[in-house]
Amino acid sequence: MSVASRPASATDAGQSRSDLLVIIPAFNEAGSLPTVLGDIRQHAADADILVIDDASTDGTPRLLRQLDVKWIRLPQRLGTGAAVRIGLRHALSLGYDIVVRLDGDGQHPAGVLDHLLEALRRREADVVVGSRYVGSERPDIPVARRLTHWTLGVILSLITGQRVTDPTSGLWAFGHQAVRLLADHHPSGYPEPELILFLRRNSMRVKECPVTMRDRLAGRSSLTLHRTGAAMARLLLLLVVVPLRSAIGGSDD
Amino acid sequence: MTNVLQLLAVTISILLLVLVLELVRRKKLTEEYSFVWIVSALALLGIALGRRMIDAFAIAIGIYYPPAVLLLMLVLFVFVAALSFSVVVSRQRQQIERLIEDTALMDLQLRELRAAQASTADVNADASRPGHADDAPSAS
Repeated sequence: MSVASRPASATDAGQSRSDLLVIIPAFNEAGSLPTVLGDIRQHAADADILVIDDASTDGTPRLLRQLDVKWIRLPQRLGTGAAVRIGLRHALSLGYDIVVRLDGDGQHPAGVLDHLLEALRRREADVVVGSRYVGSERPDIPVARRLTHWTLGVILSLITGQRVTDPTSGLWAFGHQAVRLLADHHPSGYPEPELILFLRRNSMRVKECPVTMRDRLAGRSSLTLHRTGAAMARLLLLLVVVPLRSAIGGSDD
Repeated sequence: MTNVLQLLAVTISILLLVLVLELVRRKKLTEEYSFVWIVSALALLGIALGRRMIDAFAIAIGIYYPPAVLLLMLVLFVFVAALSFSVVVSRQRQQIERLIEDTALMDLQLRELRAAQASTADVNADASRPGHADDAPSAS
């Protein structure tokens, strides 16, 4: 099941295109999407945008048809991980160099994009992840959640041998190598911690970048107590299993 | 007494075997998943025919009540069977996920293709016969 990768040519879409694609996985984000898109267009006018609607049940589908934006709608809900994967597959087939993933709830200000992409453009990293905990600013996050992030970050740091401060960050920038790898192998579910493990296992250079995130603009997080529990249980297993999996030999196919 | 019991066991084993074969014949059970059941039905038949094997095996591994061996084998078999079904379900889930992704991607490509087609058709219609835009193929 390989990704149908057409040769990247500028004539592909019949028009000149940016080298940067911003993908936004969205589940029921009709309340915040217009603001998020406006924010991106204001701060990264040259970027192409793709919204992946993960079978939303609110007004998102109608909204997307009205907004002037490229969108994909999953006919069944597959979760954030699969939504990101589909965006990466699309990016790979059209030959984008850099893909940024940010959330549709407005917590990731597009103003940080330039900052986020610096290390990628200088080829100092294959992947850059925005972290709320790197900078000097103390993010306004409830103590319990902060403690969970901290614990998880310490565990992931120990396993990967790299400093992981924000293990559930949804703000990522992928360079070309990473896009090629992840178009087929981006983890499913709530993917972030597994993604960190997977990237390390496949020798991708991951760099953290300080980012000030906001509260979500509207709607609710898809994380319920039940889902959080399931995600944590899955994560415990993955902490053991992912480092034991063989690396993907995908750099030459 | 033992003979009646043995006859019953043999009959049940044969019925199970026939049931599996019938399911395959009717295509209710695909061949690849039928083998595990055919083998188990044959094993059951073998045990029914050679009861002394069980006794000997029980003594050899130190089980004092030979029928317990049957239960042990049954539990192991059910465990392995259930595990293999989980593997099948997992694989199918991945396949379904991939199919859903493919449909969504194709939907986007189809929309883009139609939009491109509609715009070229408009241009052609405008260029050749201005005022006759209705000659252009419908976009939907």
